Amino acid sequence: MNISAMPPCQGACPINTDVRGYVSAIARGDVETAIGIIHQVNPFPSVCGRICIRACESVCRRAQIDEPISIAALKRFAADQTKDLKSFHKRGPFYNEKVAVIGGGPSGLTAAHDLTLLGYNVTVFEAHKELGGMLIRGIPEYRLPKSAVKADIDFILSMGIEVKTGMVLGRDFSIDELLKDYQAVFLALGSERSIFPKCKGIEKPGIITAVEFLKQVSEGHRPYLGESIVVVGGGHTAVDAARTCIRLGAHDVTVIYRRTVKEMPAGKGEVEEAEHEGVKFKFLTAPVEFIGNGKVEKVRCVKMQLSHASGSKRQSFLPVKDSEFDINTDAVILAIGYNPKTDSIEEVEIISGKKGTIVVKDELGTTNIKGVFAGGDVVSGPQSVIHAIASGKKAADAIHRYLRNLPPKEIEEPVVLRPLDERIVSLIIKAVRQKMPMLPTEERIKSFNEVQLGFTWDQAVSEAQRCLNCGAGAVISEDCAACFNCVLVCPYGVPTAGEEKAQIDISQCQACGICASECPASAIDVKLETREVGRKKLKKAVDDAKKEELKDFTINFYCQYEQPTGPSEKKKGTYTVGKPCMARVSVYQLIQPFEEGSKAVEIHKCGHKKDCRFKGCEKWIIKHIERAQKMLKDIGIDADHVKLIFEDDK
Amino acid sequence: MVIAEIKPFEEIKNLLKKYKKILVAGCGSCVTVCLSGGKKQVELLASALRTARKIEGDDVVVGEKVIPRQCEPKFVDQIKDEASQYDAILSMGCGAGVQEIAERIENIPVFPALNTTFIGMADEQGQYLEVCAACGDCILSMTGGICPVTRCAKSLINGPCGGSRGGLCEVSKDNPCVWQLIYDRLVKLNMLYLLKGISQPKTRSVHPRRMVR
Repeated sequence: MNISAMPPCQGACPINTDVRGYVSAIARGDVETAIGIIHQVNPFPSVCGRICIRACESVCRRAQIDEPISIAALKRFAADQTKDLKSFHKRGPFYNEKVAVIGGGPSGLTAAHDLTLLGYNVTVFEAHKELGGMLIRGIPEYRLPKSAVKADIDFILSMGIEVKTGMVLGRDFSIDELLKDYQAVFLALGSERSIFPKCKGIEKPGIITAVEFLKQVSEGHRPYLGESIVVVGGGHTAVDAARTCIRLGAHDVTVIYRRTVKEMPAGKGEVEEAEHEGVKFKFLTAPVEFIGNGKVEKVRCVKMQLSHASGSKRQSFLPVKDSEFDINTDAVILAIGYNPKTDSIEEVEIISGKKGTIVVKDELGTTNIKGVFAGGDVVSGPQSVIHAIASGKKAADAIHRYLRNLPPKEIEEPVVLRPLDERIVSLIIKAVRQKMPMLPTEERIKSFNEVQLGFTWDQAVSEAQRCLNCGAGAVISEDCAACFNCVLVCPYGVPTAGEEKAQIDISQCQACGICASECPASAIDVKLETREVGRKKLKKAVDDAKKEELKDFTINFYCQYEQPTGPSEKKKGTYTVGKPCMARVSVYQLIQPFEEGSKAVEIHKCGHKKDCRFKGCEKWIIKHIERAQKMLKDIGIDADHVKLIFEDDK
Repeated sequence: MVIAEIKPFEEIKNLLKKYKKILVAGCGSCVTVCLSGGKKQVELLASALRTARKIEGDDVVVGEKVIPRQCEPKFVDQIKDEASQYDAILSMGCGAGVQEIAERIENIPVFPALNTTFIGMADEQGQYLEVCAACGDCILSMTGGICPVTRCAKSLINGPCGGSRGGLCEVSKDNPCVWQLIYDRLVKLNMLYLLKGISQPKTRSVHPRRMVR
């Protein structure tokens, strides 16, 4: 049993984002805390909220019950809702060293962000006019609006980072020159050089790379390639190019891909969206020749089939004999991949790999030149944005350690919580995943407006409340008296009797908190809302009441799952305290406010009349109220001064 | 384990009415386990006392402290200094705890918040049952590990009385006849021959008893 184990979402995220933390903040309607948690590790929430590959969602334990939490959409919600907030980090202490970051894409900018936070003076050199790299040149606006990228970049630059755009490495400056002024250099050159298929006729007019095509569109051009277009490839870029063609007025757009939809890096969801918009897909199809009189007019293709050749782990696909056929077309867009473009640094003898990548010595991105580090797509080849961000973070840390002469960071593989036991799964109430509101198809294909519209407040809060708070459950301290009351009261049967003390398997605990409120030794605390936090919240409500110098006041506990942002109607003299489930209001919390002068304590509109999130909580809510009422009577206060109020009691 | 119950609040309040500074002292052992005198009960009782006195216009300072075992002088000695700031101690320990405090903290009166009731065992529903009278002359070897001294209403040690009906005790239908339980268990163990033996009358121990470690 490892109580520091990460929830699977956090473990799967390349930068270990505290997903549970920000999702639970959104569940309470607290977007400012949510964005704060995200910004601790990720300077690109608007971007990642839209185009992340969502490794987190693929391991979300909620999928064992119904569907995973819509994590990326919640991140986007937090970013969109707080874009006007100036919640910027403070700069750290200053060091004298200067660091040059070459490349203003996600990897370079993340490194610049982290290094600035660490206290260095950072200058970013960008070859193009605009920062953002592939985020703005490679991803169309209907999927990632420039305004979203700009929001994140503005946030990063607001920390005080110098930017030099239009500065091309090898043309305007060299690494050697930089090393005279800067004590460390980070190469984050990206990977934007298209790969061409080895086909006859590749040089024909009418054939364009997806990178070039999408770049033109991102610059505001509207190239018209023709009525019918063939896109070659199966990645995000291929689908992006195809959907862009539809928006530019092409009626017949076909994506050809040599494998099946299962192998497509773009993913099923994106393929479906493209199909809704009119894009056709031909799987198991590869180009062999581009034919035309002058301009390209036909793509000669061959059918592919799965090869059963032994020895190879990855499934390989081979052409089917005599299966050639032609597709008529006005233009061809090539999107079969990219390699880094590193000719500019050849003369400085940085070791380059086969495909133009920079070869680094270790995980940290150390190159063969002292003080020069490399990361992002230029090292790994094209990867997702979150991997670029992760590599930027690693580089920043490595550069800091290099400049400060610190030992390398020890990298620990995160310990991740086990899957839920089937028995627990059967006890958790189902809740459907919120559907992302989308622009209607007929409107989509006419413009580059963003297709996914983002969650509404209600949707975001409902979706966030589906989170199982994995790993934020009960932990037992040394004070355990081994009474095993927790074993008796848990509605999920999670606590067990250990050899000396009780044990609670944090991977199975649902964080309902009933054990904590029933533990006679106060030895159990629940991470979702610790005892200390709970007390502070109650104290604040009481202090607020006292400040008003009211003769009498009422403390009202409300369920955060029922009313995430608190009761809509604010009654004078009533002070509210939100709790994650009313069963967590202990007898002590029900009677303690009377000591402070409260005239009544209410548990407001608890959801247990409907389907409550926690199994069997109602029994404990009623027990606590009855015990508190008995104590009140003993003290000399009418028992009905502690009560449960339902909405229909009004 | 020692089982105890919290006294009626009114009684506790009356015990303490002339004191202005009270230390409520809990015990982390038996009485925590039986939900009578652990940390949670200490804070509840302390809060209730403060509120009740406030209502009467007679404010009081109530401190809270829990030690691992009140029947251990070394633990009691650890709170001597803190206790000296109070003018009364309310012990939420068992009778042994109250007396250990009285023994070690000479100049401050100590009052019991609990009624110590019996030595008991827990069942699966979290209820406690009296099972040992600490008679000082154990005959469990002859009765299949079930004590008739404690669990028979008449403490009969050589078989049931005539009031055993359908396996229940005539004194209370909620109680099984312990001799029925003993018989059934010895049948299962194939040790029924034990019932042929006669237990001699017990000599009443002279109090207080002592044990040297």
